[in-house]
Amino acid sequence: MKESRLPVLTDEELLIGLADGSDNALTHLYQRYFPMVLYFVTSNSGSEDDAKDIYQEVLIVLYEKVRGGSLELHCQLKTYLYSIGRRLWLKQLAQRSRFMVRDVETPVSDEFVNGQISDDLAGHEERDRQFDLMADSLNRLGEPCRTLLEDFYIEHLSMQDITEKFGYTNTDNAKTQKYKCLMRLKRLFFSEYKQD
Amino acid sequence: MNMDEEKDIENALRTYSERIEFKQRLARIQASADVNAYPVETEQSGQIRALWRTYRTTLAVAASAAIITTFGSIFLYRSYQQSHQQEQQYRLLSKEIQAVKYSQRKLLSDLNGRGRALSVNPAQVSGSGFMLTGDGYFVTNNHIVIGADSVYVQSTKGDVYKARVVYNDQAHDLAFLQLCDDSAFRPMPPVPYGFNARPSDLGERVYTLGFPREEIVYGEGYLSSGTGYRGDSTAYQVAVGVNPGNSGGPLLDEGGNIIGIISGKQTTLEGVSFAIKTNYLLDAINAIPADSLKGQPLRLNRKGGLMNLSRKQQIKRMQEYVYQVKVFKHKE
Repeated sequence: MKESRLPVLTDEELLIGLADGSDNALTHLYQRYFPMVLYFVTSNSGSEDDAKDIYQEVLIVLYEKVRGGSLELHCQLKTYLYSIGRRLWLKQLAQRSRFMVRDVETPVSDEFVNGQISDDLAGHEERDRQFDLMADSLNRLGEPCRTLLEDFYIEHLSMQDITEKFGYTNTDNAKTQKYKCLMRLKRLFFSEYKQD
Repeated sequence: MNMDEEKDIENALRTYSERIEFKQRLARIQASADVNAYPVETEQSGQIRALWRTYRTTLAVAASAAIITTFGSIFLYRSYQQSHQQEQQYRLLSKEIQAVKYSQRKLLSDLNGRGRALSVNPAQVSGSGFMLTGDGYFVTNNHIVIGADSVYVQSTKGDVYKARVVYNDQAHDLAFLQLCDDSAFRPMPPVPYGFNARPSDLGERVYTLGFPREEIVYGEGYLSSGTGYRGDSTAYQVAVGVNPGNSGGPLLDEGGNIIGIISGKQTTLEGVSFAIKTNYLLDAINAIPADSLKGQPLRLNRKGGLMNLSRKQQIKRMQEYVYQVKVFKHKE
């Protein structure tokens, strides 16, 4: 039903749309390739929820590569997504100590592309770690710093709004406060991050 | 430096927030896709496929077992049917006489008691056979004497002699016996008939003597084909009425020469009998190892002395050399 309302987009257009943050492109990507991953995961002792988690991660990998402008596709987008999803799920399976794999699509067989996917996934893991670390650092930051930073960087509130919300006398004051918070976050974050 | 680090942490925060945003968007899309029941639908087919994936090896094994069973039983049934048909069509003319009552008259007239032993323990298979030479070499069908514990021959007069099996030719269904093992046997005059190894012509008038019952029985007809059952080139087809017990009997031509040995008939057709050609008899004789003959050579009479006699005279001379063969076997 929904398929018919959406114009048929090429993979190229989908990637451009994804980079621009288009919901349409994301929906399309989801509908076009999720069933494949779902099928793969459910064929390999996974549930639908597992498949959703995996596909979400796949799309995060893709999204962050596209946003960072570092995506180099040497195979079809479908194959790329399948291979990424396959690797991610295999990792999970390995943690559950199951090793039998039943492929539903042909994964990347090319040596070079395989290496590239490994690199992409390594980068993804790095970013994953950063992400978890950031969440952790924000948690440890304490109030009101955490809310302030989240409001500014995540909720995208203006300094004006933040000044009003937190009851600062003026925006400069708020900015100084934000800077201080940022510095504390930096210490928390990099003390952990650099250690590793 | 300070500015740099500020940038770093800001960038890290931005990446963090971007991912959070993206996850939120994804969650929305996933939720809307759920509402559309899109993945549920695929999941169903996915499950069916997953089942197929899981069980396809089992299925393949089951299917191949079914195929093998099906074709195996068809094959077995057909081969059984075929062999059964063959058995029905080609009937060996040995006679199972276990149930046949012994002639009382024979028993009473038998004085020397040799026949009595036979009557107490009746033979299990009987057929016909005839002398090759006057000094005791004898031929019959292999299928009569096969598996025999002991073989006896009985003349038209009722004399019974024990016979020793000298040689079996399974391929041509021939068996050679020797009667001179038995001390009661006295060599007879040379056989009156000759052995004609030349192929006989179609339409040749032929006759046979045999023991489908306790008395010798005469049958006549003509040579109807140069080959036997299913084109068997070692045999003739003859139109002579023969019955179980005729097996091993001689087939003679107009001139009183042996041209074959009755071996079987086709049950599906009337008046179709088969006789092994004489030249295969000669081949078989040549194949007998000298040891088996115990120094007593087996030489056939090539030229018969019945040539100019009438059929009745021929038969009169002949019948003394045609014997009933009785075979005793272990009951299984």
